[in-house]
Amino acid sequence: MEIGDCYIGWATDEEIRSKGASGGLVTAMLAAALEKELVEAVVVLKKLGEFEAIPIVTSDPEEVKAAAGSMHSVPIVLSRYLEYGTKVALPAKPCDARATIEQAKRQQVNLDTTYIIGLNCGGTMHPAVTRKMLETIYKLDPEEIAGEEIDKGKLIFETKDGKEHAIKIDELEEEGYGRRESCQYCAINIPRMADLACGNWGVIGDLAGKGTFVEVNTEKGIEILQNAIDSGAVEITPADEKGKAIREKVDSAMQKVAASAHAKYLAPIEGSHLDYYMNTLSDCINCGACKTVCPVCACGEAAKCTDFYSQALGYKMSLFHLVRFVHLMDSCIGCGQCTDVCPVDIPLTHLYRRFAEPLQEEFDYTPGVDMRTPPFFGVDLIED
Amino acid sequence: MAEDTEWQPKIVMFCCNWCSYGGADSAGMGRFQQPPTVRVIRVMCSGRMDPVFILNAFLEGADGVIFSGCHIGDCHYVSGNYKATIKYKFLKAMVNELGLEDERLKLDWISASEGERYANVVKEFTEQIKKVGPSPLKPEGVV
Repeated sequence: MEIGDCYIGWATDEEIRSKGASGGLVTAMLAAALEKELVEAVVVLKKLGEFEAIPIVTSDPEEVKAAAGSMHSVPIVLSRYLEYGTKVALPAKPCDARATIEQAKRQQVNLDTTYIIGLNCGGTMHPAVTRKMLETIYKLDPEEIAGEEIDKGKLIFETKDGKEHAIKIDELEEEGYGRRESCQYCAINIPRMADLACGNWGVIGDLAGKGTFVEVNTEKGIEILQNAIDSGAVEITPADEKGKAIREKVDSAMQKVAASAHAKYLAPIEGSHLDYYMNTLSDCINCGACKTVCPVCACGEAAKCTDFYSQALGYKMSLFHLVRFVHLMDSCIGCGQCTDVCPVDIPLTHLYRRFAEPLQEEFDYTPGVDMRTPPFFGVDLIED
Repeated sequence: MAEDTEWQPKIVMFCCNWCSYGGADSAGMGRFQQPPTVRVIRVMCSGRMDPVFILNAFLEGADGVIFSGCHIGDCHYVSGNYKATIKYKFLKAMVNELGLEDERLKLDWISASEGERYANVVKEFTEQIKKVGPSPLKPEGVV
Protein backbone atom coordinates (compact mmCIF):
# COMPACT_ATOMS: atom_id res chain seq x y z
CA MET A 1 0.00 0.00 0.00
CA GLU A 2 1.35 3.39 -0.95
CA ILE A 3 0.44 7.02 -0.53
CA GLY A 4 -1.91 8.09 -3.30
CA ASP A 5 -3.49 4.64 -3.75
CA CYS A 6 -7.26 4.38 -4.08
CA TYR A 7 -9.32 1.44 -2.85
CA ILE A 8 -12.89 0.38 -2.33
CA GLY A 9 -13.33 -1.02 1.16
CA TRP A 10 -16.08 -2.45 3.32
CA ALA A 11 -16.63 -3.95 6.76
CA THR A 12 -16.52 -7.72 6.97
CA ASP A 13 -19.12 -7.70 9.76
CA GLU A 14 -22.49 -7.85 7.96
CA GLU A 15 -24.27 -5.86 10.66
CA ILE A 16 -21.84 -2.94 10.46
CA ARG A 17 -21.83 -3.15 6.68
CA SER A 18 -25.59 -2.75 6.40
CA LYS A 19 -25.96 -0.23 9.21
CA GLY A 20 -23.05 2.03 8.34
CA ALA A 21 -23.18 4.48 5.50
CA SER A 22 -21.87 2.87 2.29
CA GLY A 23 -20.28 -0.29 3.59
CA GLY A 24 -19.36 0.69 7.14
CA LEU A 25 -15.64 0.95 6.33
CA VAL A 26 -15.04 3.92 8.61
CA THR A 27 -16.93 2.41 11.55
CA ALA A 28 -15.05 -0.88 11.20
CA MET A 29 -11.72 0.92 10.92
CA LEU A 30 -12.36 2.97 14.06
CA ALA A 31 -13.51 -0.04 16.04
CA ALA A 32 -10.49 -2.07 14.88
CA ALA A 33 -8.11 0.74 15.84
CA LEU A 34 -9.55 0.68 19.37
CA GLU A 35 -9.54 -3.10 19.63
CA LYS A 36 -5.93 -3.39 18.46
CA GLU A 37 -4.96 -0.49 20.77
CA LEU A 38 -3.67 1.64 17.92
CA VAL A 39 -5.58 4.48 19.58
CA GLU A 40 -6.87 5.17 23.10
CA ALA A 41 -9.98 7.03 22.09
CA VAL A 42 -12.24 7.62 19.13
CA VAL A 43 -14.51 10.55 18.40
CA VAL A 44 -17.92 9.52 17.11
CA LEU A 45 -21.28 11.17 16.69
CA LYS A 46 -23.99 10.22 19.12
CA LYS A 47 -27.43 10.57 17.63
CA LEU A 48 -29.76 12.82 19.60
CA GLY A 49 -32.57 12.68 17.10
CA GLU A 50 -33.13 12.42 13.40
CA PHE A 51 -31.60 15.86 12.82
CA GLU A 52 -29.04 16.25 15.50
CA ALA A 53 -25.90 14.54 16.75
CA ILE A 54 -23.20 15.47 19.21
CA PRO A 55 -19.56 14.43 19.05
CA ILE A 56 -18.52 12.18 21.92
CA VAL A 57 -15.20 10.65 22.87
CA THR A 58 -15.29 6.96 23.60
CA SER A 59 -12.96 4.03 24.21
CA ASP A 60 -15.65 1.40 23.83
CA PRO A 61 -15.67 -0.37 20.42
CA GLU A 62 -19.34 -1.26 20.94
CA GLU A 63 -20.24 2.41 21.22
CA VAL A 64 -18.31 3.09 18.01
CA LYS A 65 -20.27 0.38 16.23
CA ALA A 66 -23.52 1.78 17.59
CA ALA A 67 -22.69 5.16 16.06
CA ALA A 68 -22.52 3.76 12.51
CA GLY A 69 -24.30 5.76 9.84
CA SER A 70 -23.77 9.32 8.72
CA MET A 71 -25.14 12.39 10.45
CA HIS A 72 -24.99 16.12 10.01
CA SER A 73 -22.74 17.71 12.55
CA VAL A 74 -20.79 20.87 13.15
CA PRO A 75 -16.97 20.86 13.09
CA ILE A 76 -15.21 19.35 16.03
CA VAL A 77 -12.88 21.37 18.21
CA LEU A 78 -10.78 18.38 19.13
CA SER A 79 -8.47 20.21 21.53
CA ARG A 80 -11.43 20.97 23.84
CA TYR A 81 -12.22 17.32 24.40
CA LEU A 82 -8.84 15.73 24.73
CA GLU A 83 -5.53 16.28 26.37
CA TYR A 84 -2.59 17.06 24.12
CA GLY A 85 -0.99 13.91 22.79
CA THR A 86 -3.90 11.51 23.37
CA LYS A 87 -3.85 8.82 20.71
CA VAL A 88 -7.11 9.39 18.94
CA ALA A 89 -8.86 8.64 15.68
CA LEU A 90 -11.62 10.84 14.39
CA PRO A 91 -13.84 10.75 11.37
CA ALA A 92 -13.71 14.22 9.89
CA LYS A 93 -15.45 16.28 7.25
CA PRO A 94 -13.06 18.56 5.34
CA CYS A 95 -13.73 21.41 7.78
CA ASP A 96 -13.11 19.10 10.78
CA ALA A 97 -9.83 17.99 9.27
CA ARG A 98 -8.79 21.55 8.50
CA ALA A 99 -9.75 22.70 12.00
CA THR A 100 -7.67 19.88 13.48
CA ILE A 101 -4.64 20.80 11.36
CA GLU A 102 -4.99 24.47 12.31
CA GLN A 103 -5.13 23.43 15.98
CA ALA A 104 -1.98 21.39 15.47
CA LYS A 105 -0.22 24.53 14.20
CA ARG A 106 -1.21 26.21 17.46
CA GLN A 107 0.13 23.33 19.58
CA GLN A 108 -3.37 22.33 20.67
CA VAL A 109 -3.38 18.94 18.99
CA ASN A 110 -0.51 16.56 18.28
CA LEU A 111 -0.93 15.36 14.70
CA ASP A 112 1.52 12.50 15.25
CA THR A 113 -0.97 10.85 17.58
CA THR A 114 -4.12 11.90 15.73
CA TYR A 115 -5.53 9.79 12.94
CA ILE A 116 -7.86 11.85 10.78
CA ILE A 117 -10.20 9.77 8.68
CA GLY A 118 -11.63 12.23 6.19
CA LEU A 119 -15.17 11.95 4.89
CA ASN A 120 -16.46 13.50 1.70
CA CYS A 121 -18.93 16.24 2.41
CA GLY A 122 -21.40 18.07 0.26
CA GLY A 123 -22.67 20.27 3.06
CA THR A 124 -24.49 20.00 6.37
CA MET A 125 -27.82 21.26 7.58
CA HIS A 126 -28.75 23.18 10.70
CA PRO A 127 -31.12 21.09 12.86
CA ALA A 128 -33.48 23.96 13.75
CA VAL A 129 -33.64 25.20 10.16
CA THR A 130 -34.30 21.66 8.94
CA ARG A 131 -37.23 21.28 11.33
CA LYS A 132 -38.71 24.54 10.15
CA MET A 133 -38.19 23.54 6.53
CA LEU A 134 -40.01 20.25 7.11
CA GLU A 135 -42.96 22.03 8.64
CA THR A 136 -43.28 24.87 6.15
CA ILE A 137 -42.04 23.49 2.81
CA TYR A 138 -42.43 19.72 3.04
CA LYS A 139 -45.53 20.03 5.26
CA LEU A 140 -44.34 17.06 7.30
CA ASP A 141 -44.16 16.45 11.01
CA PRO A 142 -40.43 16.45 11.97
CA GLU A 143 -41.09 13.64 14.45
CA GLU A 144 -42.30 11.39 11.63
CA ILE A 145 -39.03 11.44 9.69
CA ALA A 146 -37.15 8.16 9.44
CA GLY A 147 -34.32 9.00 7.05
CA GLU A 148 -32.77 11.54 4.77
CA GLU A 149 -30.63 11.43 1.67
CA ILE A 150 -29.43 13.55 -1.18
CA ASP A 151 -29.75 12.14 -4.67
CA LYS A 152 -29.47 13.81 -8.09
CA GLY A 153 -29.74 17.31 -6.65
CA LYS A 154 -32.82 16.49 -4.62
CA LEU A 155 -33.18 16.37 -0.86
CA ILE A 156 -35.27 13.33 0.01
CA PHE A 157 -36.93 12.73 3.36
CA GLU A 158 -38.39 9.36 4.17
CA THR A 159 -41.24 9.24 6.64
CA LYS A 160 -41.96 6.40 9.05
CA ASP A 161 -44.77 5.11 6.82
CA GLY A 162 -42.16 4.44 4.09
CA LYS A 163 -43.08 7.30 1.74
CA GLU A 164 -40.40 9.48 0.15
CA HIS A 165 -40.71 13.23 -0.20
CA ALA A 166 -38.27 14.90 -2.60
CA ILE A 167 -37.67 18.57 -3.35
CA LYS A 168 -34.85 20.07 -5.40
CA ILE A 169 -32.08 21.49 -3.25
CA ASP A 170 -31.76 24.57 -5.47
CA GLU A 171 -35.38 25.48 -4.77
CA LEU A 172 -34.93 24.98 -1.04
CA GLU A 173 -31.82 27.13 -0.97
CA GLU A 174 -33.60 29.81 -2.95
CA GLU A 175 -36.06 29.96 -0.03
CA GLY A 176 -33.25 30.18 2.53
CA TYR A 177 -33.47 26.57 3.68
CA GLY A 178 -31.34 23.55 2.89
CA ARG A 179 -27.67 23.51 3.69
CA ARG A 180 -25.88 26.03 5.88
CA GLU A 181 -24.87 29.10 3.91
CA SER A 182 -21.17 28.50 4.51
CA CYS A 183 -21.56 24.91 3.24
CA GLN A 184 -23.20 26.13 0.06
CA TYR A 185 -20.11 28.02 -1.02
CA CYS A 186 -17.50 25.69 0.49
CA ALA A 187 -15.43 24.28 -2.37
CA ILE A 188 -13.51 21.61 -0.46
CA ASN A 189 -15.52 18.41 -0.71
CA ILE A 190 -12.83 15.72 -0.63
CA PRO A 191 -10.64 15.91 2.50
CA ARG A 192 -7.23 15.31 0.88
CA MET A 193 -5.54 16.99 3.87
CA ALA A 194 -6.73 14.13 6.13
CA ASP A 195 -4.89 10.82 6.50
CA LEU A 196 -7.54 8.97 4.54
CA ALA A 197 -10.21 10.41 2.29
CA CYS A 198 -13.33 8.24 2.37
CA GLY A 199 -16.71 8.57 0.73
CA ASN A 200 -19.25 6.95 -1.53
CA TRP A 201 -18.37 8.95 -4.64
CA GLY A 202 -16.77 6.70 -7.24
CA VAL A 203 -18.20 3.42 -5.92
CA ILE A 204 -19.85 1.81 -8.93
CA GLY A 205 -21.28 -1.51 -10.10
CA ASP A 206 -22.16 -4.24 -7.59
CA LEU A 207 -20.44 -2.42 -4.76
CA ALA A 208 -22.54 0.76 -5.03
CA GLY A 209 -23.98 1.51 -1.61
CA LYS A 210 -22.03 -1.38 -0.09
CA GLY A 211 -18.49 -0.07 -0.32
CA THR A 212 -16.55 3.05 0.51
CA PHE A 213 -14.03 4.70 -1.79
CA VAL A 214 -10.87 5.43 0.14
CA GLU A 215 -7.83 7.42 -0.94
CA VAL A 216 -4.67 7.02 1.15
CA ASN A 217 -2.98 10.37 1.79
CA THR A 218 -0.36 9.78 4.48
CA GLU A 219 1.72 7.14 6.28
CA LYS A 220 -0.69 7.32 9.20
CA GLY A 221 -3.52 6.59 6.79
CA ILE A 222 -1.73 3.41 5.66
CA GLU A 223 -1.20 2.44 9.30
CA ILE A 224 -4.84 2.67 10.37
CA LEU A 225 -6.18 1.04 7.20
CA GLN A 226 -3.60 -1.79 7.32
CA ASN A 227 -4.43 -2.32 11.01
CA ALA A 228 -8.09 -2.83 10.16
CA ILE A 229 -7.22 -5.24 7.31
CA ASP A 230 -4.83 -7.24 9.49
CA SER A 231 -7.42 -7.62 12.23
CA GLY A 232 -9.91 -8.91 9.67
CA ALA A 233 -12.46 -6.16 10.18
CA VAL A 234 -12.14 -4.71 6.71
CA GLU A 235 -11.64 -5.94 3.16
CA ILE A 236 -10.41 -3.81 0.30
CA THR A 237 -10.06 -4.03 -3.44
CA PRO A 238 -8.22 -1.54 -5.67
CA ALA A 239 -10.49 1.09 -7.18
CA ASP A 240 -10.76 1.09 -10.96
CA GLU A 241 -10.05 4.06 -13.20
CA LYS A 242 -13.72 4.57 -14.00
CA GLY A 243 -14.56 4.97 -10.32
CA LYS A 244 -11.76 7.49 -9.84
CA ALA A 245 -12.98 9.48 -12.84
CA ILE A 246 -16.54 9.54 -11.50
CA ARG A 247 -15.29 10.72 -8.10
CA GLU A 248 -13.40 13.58 -9.76
CA LYS A 249 -16.46 14.45 -11.82
CA VAL A 250 -18.72 14.63 -8.76
CA ASP A 251 -16.11 16.76 -7.01
CA SER A 252 -15.76 19.23 -9.87
CA ALA A 253 -19.55 19.43 -10.29
CA MET A 254 -19.88 20.25 -6.57
CA GLN A 255 -17.16 22.86 -6.88
CA LYS A 256 -19.01 24.52 -9.73
CA VAL A 257 -22.18 24.72 -7.64
CA ALA A 258 -20.12 26.15 -4.78
CA ALA A 259 -18.61 28.77 -7.04
CA SER A 260 -22.01 30.02 -8.16
CA ALA A 261 -23.25 30.09 -4.54
CA HIS A 262 -20.09 32.01 -3.68
CA ALA A 263 -20.82 34.60 -6.36
CA LYS A 264 -24.36 34.92 -5.02
CA TYR A 265 -23.65 35.23 -1.30
CA LEU A 266 -20.34 37.07 -1.37
CA ALA A 267 -21.19 39.58 -4.06
CA PRO A 268 -19.54 42.98 -3.49
CA ILE A 269 -21.27 45.15 -0.91
CA GLU A 270 -23.34 47.91 -2.45
CA GLY A 271 -22.97 51.30 -0.87
CA SER A 272 -20.79 52.11 2.11
CA HIS A 273 -18.87 49.17 3.52
CA LEU A 274 -18.56 50.90 6.86
CA ASP A 275 -22.32 51.41 7.21
CA TYR A 276 -22.88 47.79 6.27
CA TYR A 277 -20.50 46.49 8.92
CA MET A 278 -21.69 48.94 11.57
CA ASN A 279 -25.34 48.03 11.00
CA THR A 280 -24.69 44.30 10.89
CA LEU A 281 -22.63 44.32 14.06
CA SER A 282 -24.83 46.75 15.95
CA ASP A 283 -27.01 43.89 17.22
CA CYS A 284 -24.07 42.24 18.98
CA ILE A 285 -24.74 41.57 22.65
CA ASN A 286 -21.10 40.79 23.39
CA CYS A 287 -21.73 37.24 24.53
CA GLY A 288 -18.48 35.91 23.06
CA ALA A 289 -20.04 32.70 21.77
CA CYS A 290 -18.46 33.14 18.32
CA LYS A 291 -15.01 33.17 19.89
CA THR A 292 -15.79 30.21 22.14
CA VAL A 293 -16.78 27.91 19.28
CA CYS A 294 -14.15 29.07 16.80
CA PRO A 295 -11.98 26.03 15.98
CA VAL A 296 -8.98 28.09 14.84
CA CYS A 297 -8.88 30.36 17.90
CA ALA A 298 -6.52 29.01 20.53
CA CYS A 299 -6.23 32.17 22.63
CA GLY A 300 -8.18 30.90 25.62
CA GLU A 301 -9.96 33.06 28.17
CA ALA A 302 -7.64 36.06 28.15
CA ALA A 303 -7.31 37.25 24.59
CA LYS A 304 -6.59 40.47 22.77
CA CYS A 305 -10.13 40.69 21.45
CA THR A 306 -11.68 40.65 24.93
CA ASP A 307 -9.02 42.18 27.16
CA PHE A 308 -8.89 45.60 25.55
CA TYR A 309 -12.55 46.02 24.89
CA SER A 310 -15.54 46.99 26.94
CA GLN A 311 -18.93 48.09 25.67
CA ALA A 312 -18.70 50.99 28.10
CA LEU A 313 -16.08 52.60 25.85
CA GLY A 314 -18.81 53.71 23.46
CA TYR A 315 -16.90 52.97 20.26
CA LYS A 316 -18.74 53.11 16.97
CA MET A 317 -17.69 49.57 16.20
CA SER A 318 -16.83 46.76 18.53
CA LEU A 319 -13.06 46.35 18.96
CA PHE A 320 -13.81 42.74 19.79
CA HIS A 321 -15.04 42.12 16.25
CA LEU A 322 -12.34 44.19 14.57
CA VAL A 323 -9.64 42.22 16.36
CA ARG A 324 -11.35 38.98 15.46
CA PHE A 325 -11.51 40.06 11.83
CA VAL A 326 -7.76 40.61 11.74
CA HIS A 327 -7.17 37.46 13.72
CA LEU A 328 -9.18 35.30 11.33
CA MET A 329 -8.07 36.94 8.11
CA ASP A 330 -5.42 34.31 7.52
CA SER A 331 -7.01 31.46 9.46
CA CYS A 332 -10.76 31.39 8.87
CA ILE A 333 -11.72 28.00 7.42
CA GLY A 334 -15.33 29.07 6.89
CA CYS A 335 -16.86 26.30 9.00
CA GLY A 336 -19.92 28.35 9.87
CA GLN A 337 -20.11 27.68 13.60
CA CYS A 338 -20.01 31.36 14.58
CA THR A 339 -23.16 32.02 12.57
CA ASP A 340 -24.82 28.94 14.09
CA VAL A 341 -24.27 29.97 17.68
CA CYS A 342 -24.93 33.71 17.38
CA PRO A 343 -27.98 34.43 19.56
CA VAL A 344 -28.84 37.57 17.58
CA ASP A 345 -28.32 36.01 14.15
CA ILE A 346 -25.38 38.06 12.93
CA PRO A 347 -24.05 36.31 9.80
CA LEU A 348 -20.55 36.17 11.25
CA THR A 349 -19.06 33.53 8.96
CA HIS A 350 -20.14 35.66 6.05
CA LEU A 351 -18.36 38.70 7.50
CA TYR A 352 -15.21 36.74 8.33
CA ARG A 353 -15.09 35.35 4.80
CA ARG A 354 -15.33 38.84 3.35
CA PHE A 355 -12.24 39.86 5.26
CA ALA A 356 -10.38 36.58 4.88
CA GLU A 357 -10.71 35.87 1.19
CA PRO A 358 -8.79 38.81 -0.30
CA LEU A 359 -5.95 38.27 2.15
CA GLN A 360 -5.77 34.49 1.80
CA GLU A 361 -5.59 35.08 -1.93
CA GLU A 362 -2.88 37.72 -1.57
CA PHE A 363 -0.69 35.39 0.47
CA ASP A 364 -1.73 32.36 -1.58
CA TYR A 365 -2.57 30.60 1.67
CA THR A 366 -5.33 28.10 2.32
CA PRO A 367 -5.66 27.40 6.03
CA GLY A 368 -5.82 23.83 7.24
CA VAL A 369 -4.60 22.01 4.16
CA ASP A 370 -0.96 21.66 5.17
CA MET A 371 1.37 22.64 8.00
CA ARG A 372 2.43 25.98 6.47
CA THR A 373 2.77 28.71 9.11
CA PRO A 374 -0.05 31.27 8.97
CA PRO A 375 1.25 34.35 7.08
CA PHE A 376 0.79 36.58 10.14
CA PHE A 377 3.65 34.71 11.83
CA GLY A 378 5.65 33.69 8.81
CA VAL A 379 8.50 36.12 8.22
CA ASP A 380 10.06 35.94 4.80
CA LEU A 381 13.48 37.56 5.01
CA ILE A 382 14.16 37.52 1.30
CA GLU A 383 13.29 40.85 -0.21
CA ASP A 384 11.14 40.76 -3.32
CA MET B 1 -7.33 84.21 12.11
CA ALA B 2 -8.09 81.91 9.20
CA GLU B 3 -5.69 79.16 10.31
CA ASP B 4 -7.38 78.81 13.67
CA THR B 5 -10.77 77.88 12.29
CA GLU B 6 -9.39 75.31 9.87
CA TRP B 7 -9.97 71.74 10.95
CA GLN B 8 -6.79 70.04 12.15
CA PRO B 9 -6.67 66.28 11.94
CA LYS B 10 -5.51 64.13 14.81
CA ILE B 11 -2.80 61.73 13.75
CA VAL B 12 -1.30 59.00 15.87
CA MET B 13 2.23 58.10 14.90
CA PHE B 14 4.02 55.07 16.26
CA CYS B 15 7.79 55.48 16.08
CA CYS B 16 10.39 52.84 16.77
CA ASN B 17 12.86 53.67 19.50
CA TRP B 18 16.01 53.27 17.39
CA CYS B 19 15.26 55.04 14.12
CA SER B 20 12.02 56.97 13.72
CA TYR B 21 11.94 58.37 17.26
CA GLY B 22 15.49 59.58 16.66
CA GLY B 23 14.25 60.97 13.35
CA ALA B 24 11.61 63.00 15.19
CA ASP B 25 14.36 64.27 17.44
CA SER B 26 16.56 65.34 14.53
CA ALA B 27 13.56 67.05 12.91
CA GLY B 28 13.26 69.15 16.06
CA MET B 29 16.98 69.83 16.33
CA GLY B 30 17.20 70.76 12.67
CA ARG B 31 14.17 73.06 13.13
CA PHE B 32 12.26 71.59 10.23
CA GLN B 33 8.75 73.05 10.27
CA GLN B 34 5.88 70.57 10.59
CA PRO B 35 2.18 70.79 11.42
CA PRO B 36 1.20 70.09 15.07
CA THR B 37 -1.16 67.28 14.12
CA VAL B 38 0.89 64.29 15.16
CA ARG B 39 0.88 62.56 18.53
CA VAL B 40 3.96 60.40 18.71
CA ILE B 41 3.95 57.14 20.62
CA ARG B 42 7.27 55.43 21.06
CA VAL B 43 7.48 51.66 20.70
CA MET B 44 10.66 49.67 20.97
CA CYS B 45 10.43 48.30 17.44
CA SER B 46 8.04 48.58 14.49
CA GLY B 47 7.64 44.81 14.89
CA ARG B 48 6.04 45.51 18.27
CA MET B 49 3.13 47.17 16.48
CA ASP B 50 0.02 45.20 17.13
CA PRO B 51 -3.06 45.56 14.92
CA VAL B 52 -4.95 46.21 18.18
CA PHE B 53 -3.03 49.49 18.66
CA ILE B 54 -4.02 50.79 15.27
CA LEU B 55 -7.64 49.67 15.43
CA ASN B 56 -7.91 51.15 18.90
CA ALA B 57 -6.42 54.44 17.70
CA PHE B 58 -9.11 54.69 15.01
CA LEU B 59 -11.88 53.82 17.44
CA GLU B 60 -10.62 56.39 19.94
CA GLY B 61 -10.89 59.08 17.30
CA ALA B 62 -7.65 59.21 15.31
CA ASP B 63 -8.11 60.51 11.78
CA GLY B 64 -4.99 58.82 10.56
CA VAL B 65 -2.32 56.45 11.80
CA ILE B 66 1.29 56.24 10.66
CA PHE B 67 3.63 53.59 11.86
CA SER B 68 7.23 53.90 11.17
CA GLY B 69 10.50 52.13 11.84
CA CYS B 70 14.03 51.58 10.61
CA HIS B 71 14.67 51.00 6.92
CA ILE B 72 14.43 47.41 5.75
CA GLY B 73 17.66 45.65 6.65
CA ASP B 74 18.54 48.17 9.37
CA CYS B 75 16.28 46.87 12.12
CA HIS B 76 17.90 46.93 15.56
CA TYR B 77 16.23 43.58 16.21
CA VAL B 78 17.18 42.10 12.81
CA SER B 79 13.72 41.30 11.43
CA GLY B 80 11.26 43.52 13.33
CA ASN B 81 10.41 45.66 10.34
CA TYR B 82 9.72 42.62 8.17
CA LYS B 83 7.12 41.65 10.73
CA ALA B 84 5.76 45.18 10.58
CA THR B 85 5.41 44.84 6.81
CA ILE B 86 3.26 41.74 7.21
CA LYS B 87 1.06 43.38 9.80
CA TYR B 88 0.73 46.40 7.54
CA LYS B 89 -0.54 44.16 4.73
CA PHE B 90 -3.15 42.70 7.07
CA LEU B 91 -4.25 46.11 8.28
CA LYS B 92 -4.35 47.53 4.78
CA ALA B 93 -6.63 44.70 3.65
CA MET B 94 -8.69 45.21 6.80
CA VAL B 95 -9.08 48.97 6.31
CA ASN B 96 -10.00 48.50 2.65
CA GLU B 97 -12.69 45.94 3.37
CA LEU B 98 -14.00 47.89 6.34
CA GLY B 99 -14.55 50.91 4.13
CA LEU B 100 -12.21 53.31 5.87
CA GLU B 101 -10.30 55.41 3.34
CA ASP B 102 -7.07 53.81 2.24
CA GLU B 103 -5.18 57.07 2.89
CA ARG B 104 -5.71 56.94 6.64
CA LEU B 105 -3.06 54.32 7.24
CA LYS B 106 0.58 54.66 6.29
CA LEU B 107 3.76 52.73 6.85
CA ASP B 108 7.02 54.57 6.37
CA TRP B 109 10.68 53.97 7.10
CA ILE B 110 12.52 56.88 8.71
CA SER B 111 16.05 56.57 10.07
CA ALA B 112 17.45 58.57 13.00
CA SER B 113 19.35 60.96 10.74
CA GLU B 114 16.41 61.76 8.46
CA GLY B 115 14.95 64.73 10.33
CA GLU B 116 13.88 66.49 7.17
CA ARG B 117 12.25 63.37 5.82
CA TYR B 118 10.35 62.98 9.10
CA ALA B 119 9.00 66.51 8.79
CA ASN B 120 8.04 65.90 5.16
CA VAL B 121 6.21 62.67 5.96
CA VAL B 122 4.22 64.46 8.66
CA LYS B 123 3.45 67.38 6.32
CA GLU B 124 2.35 65.19 3.44
CA PHE B 125 0.29 62.89 5.59
CA THR B 126 -1.47 65.81 7.28
CA GLU B 127 -2.40 67.25 3.87
CA GLN B 128 -3.65 63.85 2.79
CA ILE B 129 -5.87 63.51 5.88
CA LYS B 130 -7.18 67.04 5.51
CA LYS B 131 -8.39 66.07 2.05
CA VAL B 132 -10.30 62.97 3.23
CA GLY B 133 -11.73 64.71 6.30
CA PRO B 134 -12.59 63.49 9.80
CA SER B 135 -12.69 59.73 10.36
CA PRO B 136 -16.14 58.14 10.28
CA LEU B 137 -15.12 55.96 13.23
CA LYS B 138 -14.58 58.97 15.51
CA PRO B 139 -16.74 58.58 18.63
CA GLU B 140 -19.46 61.13 19.38
CA GLY B 141 -18.09 64.21 21.08
CA VAL B 142 -14.46 63.72 20.07
CA VAL B 143 -13.10 66.60 18.00
